Amino acid sequence: MGCEITTKQRAGIINPMYDCQPAGAQYAGIGVKDCIPLVHGGQGCSMFVRLLFAQHFKENFDVASTSLHEDSAVFGGHKRIDDGVLTLVRRYPNLRVIPILTTCSSEVIGDDVEGAVARCNKQIKEEFPDRKVHVVPVHTPSFKSSQVGGYSECMQSIFKTIAATRVEPTGKLNVFPGWVNPGDVVLLKRYFHEMGVDATVFMDTEDFDSPMMPDKSIHTHGRTTVEDVEGSTGAIASLALARYEGASTADYLAKEHDVAAHVVATPYGIGNTDAMLKTISEITGKPIPDSLVKERGIALDALQDLAHMFFADKRVAIFGHPDLVIGLAQFCIEIEMKPVLMLLGDDNSKYKRDPRILALKKDADWDMEVVCNADLWELEKRVKDPDFPIDLILGHSKGRYVAIDANIPMARVGFPTFDRAGLYRQPTMGYQGAMLLAEQIANTMFAHMEFKRDREWILNTW
Amino acid sequence: MSQQQIDQLFGYVQERCLWQFHSRSWDRQENIDGIISTATDLLHGQQPKKHAPMDRMFYADAKAMVDDLKVRFPWILDLEPTRVTELMAGLKSKLVDQTITQSLNRELHDKLY
Amino acid sequence: MPMVLLSCDKDIPEREKHIYLKVDGEDSRDFLPVSNAQTIPGTLSERGCAFCGAKLVIGGVLKDTIQMIHGPMGCAYDTWHTKRYPTDNGHFNMKYVWSTDMKESHIVFGGEKRLEKSINEAFDEMPDIKRMIVYTTCPTALIGDDIKPVCKKVMSERPDVDIFTVECPGFAGVSQSKGHHVLNIGWINEKVGTLEKNITSDYTMNFIGDFNIQGDTQLLQQYWDRLGIQVISHFTGNGTYDDLRCMQQAQLNVVNCARSSGYIANELKKQYGIPRLDIDSWGFSYMAEGIRKICAFFGIEDRGEALIADETAKWKPKLDWYKERLKGARMAIWTGGPRLWHWTKSVEDDLGIQVVAMSSKFGHQEDFEKVIARGQAGTYYIDDGNELEFFEIIDLVKPDVIFTGPRVGELVKKLHIPYVNGHGYHNGPYMGFEGFVNLARDTYNAVHNPLLKLAATDIRGGQRKVFLEAAE
Repeated sequence: MGCEITTKQRAGIINPMYDCQPAGAQYAGIGVKDCIPLVHGGQGCSMFVRLLFAQHFKENFDVASTSLHEDSAVFGGHKRIDDGVLTLVRRYPNLRVIPILTTCSSEVIGDDVEGAVARCNKQIKEEFPDRKVHVVPVHTPSFKSSQVGGYSECMQSIFKTIAATRVEPTGKLNVFPGWVNPGDVVLLKRYFHEMGVDATVFMDTEDFDSPMMPDKSIHTHGRTTVEDVEGSTGAIASLALARYEGASTADYLAKEHDVAAHVVATPYGIGNTDAMLKTISEITGKPIPDSLVKERGIALDALQDLAHMFFADKRVAIFGHPDLVIGLAQFCIEIEMKPVLMLLGDDNSKYKRDPRILALKKDADWDMEVVCNADLWELEKRVKDPDFPIDLILGHSKGRYVAIDANIPMARVGFPTFDRAGLYRQPTMGYQGAMLLAEQIANTMFAHMEFKRDREWILNTW
Repeated sequence: MSQQQIDQLFGYVQERCLWQFHSRSWDRQENIDGIISTATDLLHGQQPKKHAPMDRMFYADAKAMVDDLKVRFPWILDLEPTRVTELMAGLKSKLVDQTITQSLNRELHDKLY
Repeated sequence: MPMVLLSCDKDIPEREKHIYLKVDGEDSRDFLPVSNAQTIPGTLSERGCAFCGAKLVIGGVLKDTIQMIHGPMGCAYDTWHTKRYPTDNGHFNMKYVWSTDMKESHIVFGGEKRLEKSINEAFDEMPDIKRMIVYTTCPTALIGDDIKPVCKKVMSERPDVDIFTVECPGFAGVSQSKGHHVLNIGWINEKVGTLEKNITSDYTMNFIGDFNIQGDTQLLQQYWDRLGIQVISHFTGNGTYDDLRCMQQAQLNVVNCARSSGYIANELKKQYGIPRLDIDSWGFSYMAEGIRKICAFFGIEDRGEALIADETAKWKPKLDWYKERLKGARMAIWTGGPRLWHWTKSVEDDLGIQVVAMSSKFGHQEDFEKVIARGQAGTYYIDDGNELEFFEIIDLVKPDVIFTGPRVGELVKKLHIPYVNGHGYHNGPYMGFEGFVNLARDTYNAVHNPLLKLAATDIRGGQRKVFLEAAE
């Protein structure tokens, strides 16, 4: 009995769990208003990531490419950066931010991105003296880290460039939720509103769920403005909800601008949400309002209906972003499930020392395995093993065939969830998110019981 | 035979026939030569040769075209045999001019596929 | 002035060479868009990379082959779950993707050992699979990893496996088209003629350039079975690696997608004397014509006419129902390249639809010769169209429906224009007689979409202006 932390033994990957760094950087970039990330690499590096975002959100996002080709591989691709930036500035008059994201190819070629930024800044100033466009160098070689690190890297680079000087105190709270859905951003903003806390969510992706309007206007873009980023240096504190996705920017603001950084456990489940709200309350001096006490109670009331009868002792496999996987494992324990397998999909050596994982290791009184640098073949092999029964899979759509082929119920959670409708709209964080996720899990299990004719009559009287 | 009649056939071929647009000039020439010649035979009521694989392919393309032409342009059935020959020669010359001689396709003369 | 400089392109005037507005009396001798040329950086083009042209479009379709991608994990992740090409063996091709997961130390010290290890692991993990294609990517090509000797070594140690290599990094060429080319030419030179299969019919052909999108290949296969024609290989829809090693045995190459797969048909003609017959598999009258040609080649015209009569009786009334209701609809086609010329005349003839604008991601000038010959005057023909151009073109031509990919589909949805998935289809197959009825149905449902009428309604009605003024 106990928790074992292992690492995938194979060198290669069969079915990757994460995309590469530039993908994560693109996701951070599109969260900024009037911003088009420029990927310095082959055209596939942006085209497929745009498709991935479209699959998940059912929306289009603008990302540009420098269209790097053989000649750049030989002679360097600097000119293509310059052309790309200037073409964007000329054709998009409202554009204010252009993160230049490197890739494996441009890093191997060794293009001097900082030099290109300086040239572009000079050119923009000459050609458009009345405009300020922030050109941000972002180093995201695909052969390092993963989309998780790429998100973090781009976020930090945007702040290093735009939030370079300290502003007057704003009284606001910086919030770095990490790579989450618009549903989570909306929930967090509501929580801050109910607490009377003036907070800025980086990145504010609320409008990634955008309408069809009678006037045909397009609202699909990040809401985080240049001013929001500039103002971050005057905040009372930073609150990072994802250790691996937003904490580095909170650390940067602490180090460079003395904005206190608070890294809390990612608020999946009741306990983690309690801890987050308490931290917010301590930072701001604002009490936790009755409305959230009530919301917490509604969530507990709903979870209580499900836990002993349906969830207890169910063996769960979880994969996805590290902060999500860890948070969901903690939530599973709250609702009496047993997280027996947690898969983290890149080679970040810090996962093994993550205090939350160490706590799980200390407390687990059942067999639990955490596989680092895992791929989805690690999941599939275990799921196929008759000595390793799994009752439920929690993870994103890239693992769908593991569940389909093994005939195991799988609740979609994380990114991407393109094979289920509308999940991006639903919060997973907070009390409400915990409740909705648990109900989604229950309904997935119920449908599966009916489909398999496995004690489906239990529900006759529930 | 009038230019107008050639133009009608040419318009048909442009819209319907992929064989005029193969990747390289020599393939286009080979197809135009083979198919127009086979189609001319068919319009003359002659049974074209169908021994070599390429002959059979020319026949397949030519037959589909001739069957269509007879329906779309019934006047072709009333032409004297010498007129048919002239008509098809005019069509061929126009096709060569369009798809090879004056083609703006910069890849047409690449040595390799 | 039939080449057009759109106003959004005033800062990139070289785009004028890529956009053509056909005028009555003109043809492609007068104007032919420049194509298969480099994209201008920062234009938000729709293009992918050469690697995906090889892996995602052609190689990854095969139902029995490991696709080993020698590069960082992203190249594998991104070319997985983006296509709808099922197989009759449970979709092995869509379930898995393999990567050597190149990290910085391998970039510094070389990735050949890692490749060898990953290849062996993949065969060990999936012992029933004996075929593999290995692809280089941008970084492994740049550091000069020599993948062929690695694959030879594995093949010598594992006599029952066969490996094909594709050295086509993402930065090669200007679009996915380069990847099609590299895979085609590599395959004919290295793999065709290395195996022979049992011949079971007097009539044999390869079906080239069809990727079983939503079952296209499987639908057409019913026709070939009824005609008694043995398909030696499918390049590559629902296809197998070993069948493609036998391509030399066919009497005829039937080509649907001339852009992605014309090269191998040309080489099969040059090297083996096998004729190349191009057909259009989309469209009612085109499909009938294609079947007639194939049957004429084999001298089995009677069988072909019987099949066409059967299928026409079954599907033509349904097609005509849609034609009656689609007449005059305005369509735009923004896809890869060949579907422009495959579709423009077939939707016009079979469905009465008018195609008003077409944009190709990776077509060559050959494709534009075809589409300008087939398309109408007053229609825009665009090479490598980009986002701002699309907005402007929409204003100019006001399409009722756009055949394009899902991402652009999401974009035009905001403009109250429905899209039909021109790549993976909405609910296909779209090839063959039955397939074209499916296309007609999806188009009809898109054009007569009740939600779009609701979207155009401003529930504030006449009060809207008052509210706006009050807000100011």
